[in-house]
Order: sequence, then structure tokens, then C-alpha cells
Amino acid sequence: MKKKREIRNNVLKEITEKSGRRGTQLDCCTQCLRRTEVSFRRFRNSLSEHFHQLWLWHKTLKIIGGEFGTSVLSYFIFLKWLLSFNIFSFLINFSFITVPQFIAAEPNNLSFTGLELLTGAGYFQQTVLYYGFYTNATISKTENGASYNMQLAYIFTVGIYFVICLLILLFSMAKSFCRNFISPQTYSGNASKLLCTWDFNVTNEKAVKLKQKNLSTQVKEGLTDVHKEVQNFSVTERLVHILLHLGAWAASLGIAVAACSGVYFLSINNLEVRTDFAACFWRRIFPHGLQLLVLFLCRNIILKISIIGILCYYWLDIVAESKSQCWETLIGQDIYRLILVDFIFCLLGSFFGEFLRRIIGTTVCVSLGVPEFDIARNVLDLIYAQTLTWIGILFSPLLPGIQMISFFIVFYTKKVSLMKNCQPPRQVWRAAQMTTFFMFLLFFPSLIGVLSVIAVTVWRLKPSEECGPFRGLSSMFAAVSEWIKILENYTGSKWVVWIYNNLITSELFFFILSIIFLIITYLYWQIIEGRKTMVKLLRNQIVNVSSSFSFILFKVWLPC
Amino acid sequence: MTVFLLVYRLHGRYHEMAPNVVPMDYTKDPDVKLPMQLIINMPELKENPFKERIVESFSEDGEGSLSFNDFVDMFSVLSEMAPRELKAIYAFKIYDFNTDNFICKADLEKTLNKLTREELTAEEITLVCEKVIEEADMDGDGKLGFADFENMISKAPDFLSFSFMFHI
Repeated sequence: MKKKREIRNNVLKEITEKSGRRGTQLDCCTQCLRRTEVSFRRFRNSLSEHFHQLWLWHKTLKIIGGEFGTSVLSYFIFLKWLLSFNIFSFLINFSFITVPQFIAAEPNNLSFTGLELLTGAGYFQQTVLYYGFYTNATISKTENGASYNMQLAYIFTVGIYFVICLLILLFSMAKSFCRNFISPQTYSGNASKLLCTWDFNVTNEKAVKLKQKNLSTQVKEGLTDVHKEVQNFSVTERLVHILLHLGAWAASLGIAVAACSGVYFLSINNLEVRTDFAACFWRRIFPHGLQLLVLFLCRNIILKISIIGILCYYWLDIVAESKSQCWETLIGQDIYRLILVDFIFCLLGSFFGEFLRRIIGTTVCVSLGVPEFDIARNVLDLIYAQTLTWIGILFSPLLPGIQMISFFIVFYTKKVSLMKNCQPPRQVWRAAQMTTFFMFLLFFPSLIGVLSVIAVTVWRLKPSEECGPFRGLSSMFAAVSEWIKILENYTGSKWVVWIYNNLITSELFFFILSIIFLIITYLYWQIIEGRKTMVKLLRNQIVNVSSSFSFILFKVWLPC
Repeated sequence: MTVFLLVYRLHGRYHEMAPNVVPMDYTKDPDVKLPMQLIINMPELKENPFKERIVESFSEDGEGSLSFNDFVDMFSVLSEMAPRELKAIYAFKIYDFNTDNFICKADLEKTLNKLTREELTAEEITLVCEKVIEEADMDGDGKLGFADFENMISKAPDFLSFSFMFHI
């Protein structure tokens, strides 16, 4: 009892000394804030324990993480993240573009047969699904009432959505990179994982077991870095490895070229549906070569980029220049079909790659064993689908809604397939670095490529004469420049004109912005390096002080 | 007023664990202690992997039996109102399995076993504990003193404020 009183009195003395300097009012405030914070967290925890469906898939993700590790979990988290992009896009497109269009809609004379769901043409051509249906008029419900300029709405909605996507991706990438590559120790150190992660609040038995499973999986993953054995190969073995690498590269590049030319010729000859099949089919057969994840990803990425590149070239150069009635709607339909076929192939891939492979591995050819979840291929499928959706937003504003539904179905299919057919991966990867790598892949080449395609479409291509919100203009961007010209006549809006002329259309502004950005990055990098050196020096100092103290104690002072 | 209500509620919980032993009237300061087996069956402690250590750290006689004073102490340190420094001291005590005022490698191994339900192999446990000591040991003596522990806790500020507590 006395010892406890001593501890408590010491602590209270320290605290009263500290608070005496700061003043008691501040303590009241911080206490109040602390109390509200704790009660909010308690409320959130109890909500999550009892109503786990409030956070989409929260419990499912925890189970997957515990059973299969954080690398497989990173795929599902990436899928959920991409889904949020699509939900956001669908909501803003629907609210700002589609809903006003419903007010000024023309009647649809075509009949609906079920085939439209597969081809995207027919009845759907005269609906809000495609660019061609949107009016170029200024919509107003009443005479002299508030009017809604459809042209500006269309271009600004799509433009602002992409700017927000760009900023979100840049921000997430920077945060993730900083956390996982620059300062890995301070954030997810082993010490804090061991001693500071257990939540003493948790009283539910299942939650406790899940948390323990998660922790043991994380520890095992953290240890694989230590376990990497240095393999010393002989010269001949190394030569064989290099030759195999080169062979795999040559084969995949050859297949990429063959696939691209196949897609190109099929597109030119207007064999539309077969184009989609060819593109998807060629993507899936390529040599599996060696297990090195990044190499595999790079080869696969080259193939996918080349196919998308060929398709974009075909759309922008050939379809847009053709004299067809509504080329934007045609491109929208192409993309719709591509997304649908990709979705079907994804489900089929899951069926063949995992279900049948498990059946074969357990009954016919037992040495093969149960398959592992192929994270790389699945992530690339997601990025490919998202790239197509992003390209298609300009030509078919409701495409993100369709992609949303497809992602939902893919999530549940992959989850069921994972639980039933796959085993946890033998080689565990550091999921945090993988997530950074996936985000980087999504950003560059995916988003940057899409932005270039959109930029070419908006600035260079002539919109079709008879359909869409930009009919009759010389380019889609001309809508904005014409609007600015109108604004010049109003004195109240001179600042908008000034911003347009001096910031958005001037190259000097972007040049200065880039220079400032580079300078700030360099400064931050130098500060971080300096701090790292400082930390190292201080740690050495502590060790020196304590060892010199014990030296003095044992060698000098005690013997006397 | 709130302190009084809390103590009243705690007395109710203490009494219901052993109604025949614990008196309702505490004015005469009776010398009643409840054994560890009863305390660790409380719903707040039942699923906690560190339940025995928690009860031992607050027990006066070192065997884990708590008098009502110790019981109130336990809930007050593990409440949201306790100061951080006090919590840090008791957290250190809980993780110090052999009560030598240092968290040595054996203590860390026991902690890791409790946290992972003994799913890791002995080799993995040794590796992790070595890494932890490497990371957190500032003065180079091969074990974590209280100063090292405090330094580590400061990097994870949420732990003491939000995770190291019970809710009655």
C-alpha cells in the first residue's frame, strides 16, 4: 500500500508542477477534449462491434487479413478504394449531367431487346448512357428562370472530377511512399507492434481471437525479410537464369506485338465484338517464367499498355475522323463492350484459375496442390478495368455506375473463390510497399495516360455535328473559350477572365508552379536526411554516456 | 460526485463476485481479499490475454488477490481519467513478468506468446524479441528499462490514451 501511495504521490507532484507552469484552465480544456474524444471513440468501437455492416466490408476484410495475410488483403483494399472512385464519379455525373438531361430529354423511339445489355447499342443509344443523347442547349424550366448550360456543365464536371482524382492519387501516393519507404521504423516498428497495439477495451471473444490471428500473421510477414537466404549460384546457373529472363521478355514482347496488330486489324475491319474478345484473350496467355513479381508485372503492364494504346489510336485517329454520325457514342459503345467482356473474362479467370485448378490439384494431379491467390494478375485486371472506365467517362457518363456494379460482383466472387479454393501465399510480401506500388501503377501510366487521351479529345478533335452537347463547335474546349468571351462583357466577372488568361492558359504559370514544387520537395528531402543523421548521432551519444557511466561506476568509484 | 458514484458502482461489482464474503458495510475497513480466480472471470478481463498480470500488478500480496482498495486502484488507473504517467508506470509493470523492473527478453517472449496465442515457432519468437530490443533499447544494456519504455510509448501516443483502459 505504501509503495502504491508513493508512486501516486510522485506522479501527482510531477503533474501539479507541470500544470502549475501552464495554468489550470488549460488542463480543464484538455480534459474536456480528452473526455469527448474517448467517448466518441467508444461510441465508434461499439458501433463497429455491433453494426459491422456500417463500414462496407469491414469485417470481411479483417477475416481475409487474418487468414491470408496482408498481401492478399491489399488487393481487396485496393478494390474497395477503386470502387470509391467509381461511386464518386457516378454520383457527380448523375447529379450534374444526367438529372438536368432528364428534364430536357427527347423521347426514345427504339425498342428494347435484351441484346442491348451485351452490345450496348440499339435501345441504349438514345438514352443518357451515351454522350450522343445529351443536349447542347441551355436548359431552363421556366421562362427567364434559372438556366443550366449543359455544355459547360459537361466539360466542367468531367474536368473537375479528373482534377480531384489526380490530387487524391498524388496525395495518397506521397503519404504511402513517405510512410513505407522513408521512415519505416518509426511508424510500424516491431517494438510498438508488440507492446502498444493491444486494445484492452476489447471484450468480445471472437474479436480477440481475430486480433491475435492478425498479429501473428503480421509478425510472420515481418520476419520474411530476415529469412531471405543469400543464394550463391554458379556461373552456369546464372547464365541459364539470364537466358531464361531474356527468353521470357522476348516471348512476351513478341506476343504483345502480335496481340496489338491483331487488335488493330480486327478494329480496322470493323469486327467489333471480336476485337473485344481478341484483346481480352491475348492478355491472358503469356509465359509465367520466373516468380519475380515485379518483372512479371512489368511484362504484363507493357502488354496492357500497348493494347490500350492501339485502341486509343484507333478511336481517336480513325473513328473520330470518320464521317460516321456520332463517333463519340460509337467509342462509348466500344468501351462498354470492352468493360463487359473484361468483366466476364475476370469471372471466367476466377473459375478456371482457381476453382478448376483446385479440383485438378486435389484429385487428378495431387502434386500441384491447392492454388495460391494470384495477386499481381488480379491487381492488373483491376487497373485495366479502371483505365477503361476513366477513358470512357467522357463518352459515356454513366459508365462508372456499370463499373461499380461489376466491382461489387467481382469482390464477392473473388472472396468466395479465395476462401474456398486458395491457400495462403507461401511467400509473404510486405503489403504496405505493395500498396504503394499499386498506387504508383494506377497513377502512372494509368491516370496520366487517360489524362493525355482526354486532353487530345477535348483540345484537338472536332465533336460530331449532329449529336452531343458540343455539336457544331470546333473543339470541346471551344465551349469554355466562348463562355470566357461572353464573360468579358460583364465587369463583375473580370476576375474570372483574368484567372483564365493568366493562370490556366499561360505556360509560364505552370512552369513556375513546377519549379516551386521541385524546390519544396528538395528542401523536405534534405530536412529528412538531416534528421536521420541527427537521430543516429543522438543514439550513439546515449550508448556512450551509459557505458562511460557504468565504467566509472565499476572501475573507478566502487573499488575506492 | 462522479467519483462517489463510480466507487459505489465498483463496490457493487466487487460485492456481486462473492456476495457471502464481501460485506456491504465498509465503514469498519474489513480485511477482505478476493482471489485472482474470481477477478479474472469478470467480463472486462475474461478475454484479455494479460488478465493475470494485470491483477498481479495491483495486488498487494503479490499473489494476485485484491482487496477492495486494490480493486478500485485497478479500475482507476485503467480509466480515462488517470494521468498518462501513472498509466505508463502500470503498463510497464504489467509487461514485466518477472518483476525485476526491466522488460527483459524473457518478458517479451511471454508477451508475444500471449498476444499470438502461441502460434509462432520458438525461432520466430526469439527473432522478433531480438529485433524489439534492438529497436527500443537506448542505453545498450540488452533489456528495456522504464526510460526506454516511455520513449517507445511516446511514438505511439494513442495507446495510453485510448487502448489502455477498461469501461465499466
